Amino acid sequence: MAGYIGRRVLQIIPLLFALSIIIFIVIQLPPGDYLTMYMQQLRNVGAAVSESEIANLTQLYALDRPIYEQYYRWITNILLRGDFGMSFQWNRPVAELVGERLLLTMTISIATLLFTWIVSLPIGIYSATHQYSLGDYALTFIGFIGISLPGFLIALVIMYSVFAVTGTAITGLFSPQFIAAPWSWAKIEDALKHVWLPMVIVGLSGTASLIRTMRAMMLDELQQQYVTTARARGVKERKLLFKYPVRLALNPMISTIGWLLPTIVSGEALVSIVLNMPTTGPMLLQSLLAQDMYLAGSILLITSTLTVIGTLLSDILLAWLDPRIRFGAVAEEA
Amino acid sequence: MLADLVKAGKLPPVDQRLPVTPKIANEMPASQLKPEIGQYGGFIRTLTPSVGQDTDVFVLCNEPLINTPGILGEEVTPNICEAYEVSPDQKTFTFKLRKGLKWSDGASVTTEDVRYAFEDVLQNPELTKAFPLWLRTASKFDGQPAKATIIDDVTFKLDFAEPYGGFLLVLAVQSWRNYAEFLKPSAYLKKFHKKYAKPEELDAAMKAENVTEWVGLYTLKDRSFLGGGFANKQLLGMPTLHPWVIKTVTPQLTTFERNPYYFKVDAAGNQLPYIDTIQSFYVADVEVIDLKNMAGECDFARSNPKLIKLPLYKENEAKGGYKMRLGRLHATVIDVFLNLTYKDETWRKVVQDKRFRQALNMAIDRAEIIDTIWYGYAKPSTIIPGKLDIAGANKLLDEMGLDKKDADGFRLGPDGKTFVVPFETGAQRADQIPTLELLVAFWKKIGIKTTVKKIDGSLWSQRIAAGEHQATIFWSHTPLWYMGDLGQPYWATLWQQWWTSGGKQGEEPPADVKAFFTKISQISAVPPEQGRKAYDEVRKMMNDNIYYLVPVENMMQPMLANVKLANVSDSEDVFAIGSNFSGEQFFYKK
Repeated sequence: MAGYIGRRVLQIIPLLFALSIIIFIVIQLPPGDYLTMYMQQLRNVGAAVSESEIANLTQLYALDRPIYEQYYRWITNILLRGDFGMSFQWNRPVAELVGERLLLTMTISIATLLFTWIVSLPIGIYSATHQYSLGDYALTFIGFIGISLPGFLIALVIMYSVFAVTGTAITGLFSPQFIAAPWSWAKIEDALKHVWLPMVIVGLSGTASLIRTMRAMMLDELQQQYVTTARARGVKERKLLFKYPVRLALNPMISTIGWLLPTIVSGEALVSIVLNMPTTGPMLLQSLLAQDMYLAGSILLITSTLTVIGTLLSDILLAWLDPRIRFGAVAEEA
Repeated sequence: MLADLVKAGKLPPVDQRLPVTPKIANEMPASQLKPEIGQYGGFIRTLTPSVGQDTDVFVLCNEPLINTPGILGEEVTPNICEAYEVSPDQKTFTFKLRKGLKWSDGASVTTEDVRYAFEDVLQNPELTKAFPLWLRTASKFDGQPAKATIIDDVTFKLDFAEPYGGFLLVLAVQSWRNYAEFLKPSAYLKKFHKKYAKPEELDAAMKAENVTEWVGLYTLKDRSFLGGGFANKQLLGMPTLHPWVIKTVTPQLTTFERNPYYFKVDAAGNQLPYIDTIQSFYVADVEVIDLKNMAGECDFARSNPKLIKLPLYKENEAKGGYKMRLGRLHATVIDVFLNLTYKDETWRKVVQDKRFRQALNMAIDRAEIIDTIWYGYAKPSTIIPGKLDIAGANKLLDEMGLDKKDADGFRLGPDGKTFVVPFETGAQRADQIPTLELLVAFWKKIGIKTTVKKIDGSLWSQRIAAGEHQATIFWSHTPLWYMGDLGQPYWATLWQQWWTSGGKQGEEPPADVKAFFTKISQISAVPPEQGRKAYDEVRKMMNDNIYYLVPVENMMQPMLANVKLANVSDSEDVFAIGSNFSGEQFFYKK
């Protein structure tokens, strides 16, 4: 087991290195740079562009240097000093900007994740044990809506409906008076009033697919002979269900934890943009559009690192949970 | 809000904060707004879809040295300065600053601030790599830079080598000019200037901002928040002359608080602005901005509302507690440009032929554009008028030799291939693509094949700069005569480059275009009355040559303001942006 983990960890290093290069190149691919975007923005409102200011900013941001030099600076600063560089749009360190939003994003994402699990596991089990019943059909129907409608559309529809009925626009995580305020109980309370909407909307699409997976896995297990045997021997239905089939059906959930980790950090970008959430998703999109390269690059690097780590974690978890995988690895080693 | 601070002894009383002769606000001409005497207090919320920039706040706060009410360019009045004088030869401009005028931190505004701006910034080769064009004679690339002379504490003059009569309007409104390039809070900025700051203090400041060179530090500190950078924390503490001063910066919200030393008063002598704070909210999605507008979560919106949503705005007026007004756009925004200098022989041969542009113009059904895209809130253009005449247009094209057609009925070019007008647009406005779709249909009737491609905005601007586009749609400021903006970068790209670089880049334009360019530069070289005449001639030349197409003009745009907000002009004759300018006089009716 230790050797297995060790090897997997070593594999990560070249992978991350390659990732960082690809990210940096991809970000540089669109034409122009941050300052061409900045000039364009000024021109669009009809304001004058000062050539000297642009020249000074080019120098300040080192945009006149060759790309490999820019990359070298960026990556060495990250590795040696943990400095992710400056965001051009905000003129502030990237770490500070991302840090500000990270906690909020993670809180919302974890809440969403819990919501998804709490809703979908019981429904999945119910759907499987009551296959083809009216309840199964009704829940499946709702689930399919969640899968087929994109989250941002649901968000827009809900927002518009609420507006049409009450005349208020439900957006953001805080009421205006709390946005710039320091943290307090009142602010947290205010956030709790707003957080349910993104939680339900983002959760809905996740819920649907989880329900389907859970239902399918359960159905497979319920037809196994050991279930019939146990039932024949008079094991109570509830105990029978939770002792084996449910545990086995959980496997796919564990193996997808690896993909969950990055979404916890990046959030659901589209929905967050529509709902105007102060999370990292909209910030990533905005930075890509404005070619704010260190901000965009760092967010991407952090999320991809988390994906890699998440995959590793879920592999380890699976190996620990499922002896078949563990023994398979040992057999390979031997 | 300020009275309490005065009581607490934190602020001198108002008569010590105002200059000896304060400016009586006149952002709007009397014909467009009769301002009421307002009451203090309240806040204005605005919404912006861009990080670190809010066009509405930008215009609300803007303060030029001299101003032109309603941005009409008809009358020029002193604004930051108390008086100005132009020498008879139009070469020397003398300005007198207001005695007792103060920066927002309470420091006096004197001619030292002008001297500092010219000598230590504009003439410092490290900070200024290119002397601003507009401060050169007649805004010409090879014009002599202005020479600043300080006469006394409040008086200074600018000398130009040649007559520059249009300089007043250049100062007043061109490019929404602010004072920041020639009037700088020197006492504050010297702390970041190598020549004045103590080396150890400069080092500490550089370390705090994480930069390695003083030029970088200075660039971060000496920026106007109007210049698109108000997300920058570095700007907190920068003294200004604006009605509101930047107070807090967060990714979602930027707030501005009234400047206690603001130099304007209302007719009764009360210090402006009436409104205490401005809150600019960042909202990423433009549809959500409209939703918030309609929900009344915004008190003033000029730059975001779109004509296309007019029925929705109107329907929700009562619910959202706002009033929708219509104002004129200060540009013609669906101008159609063919790049006459695109490097392709066939293309040039066709589009440089005036008859071709004439034919395209004749095939445009202006009434349909006005009905479908502007809901009737626009008029056929007078600068490039044209009657719908398909037969006439066909005749012109046949005469040109474009009389052969392909299997689909599209005309063949001189090279024997189907002639295509390929539009590229950055879709900067929602009405651009619908207009182009109409053009495709109009021009199909005269056998001209037209295609439309939407490309990324930054790619678009790069291609324009390099003259790689063949046809595009954009705006030009034809209603503002003093701007001298006749879309030169879009239809005459290489010729314009030749013109501004003194023949070093681009291509030499033909004689008629040279004459046109010369006339345009005259607009800003002569005093306003003559400038208007020069502009009339420019219009005539445009009309004769149809350098580009301006299908409609006098377009209106909706503007939303809190229903209780007073001193917003109700006249439909105003430029919407002019109302935006008069924000210091807004107040809430109880």
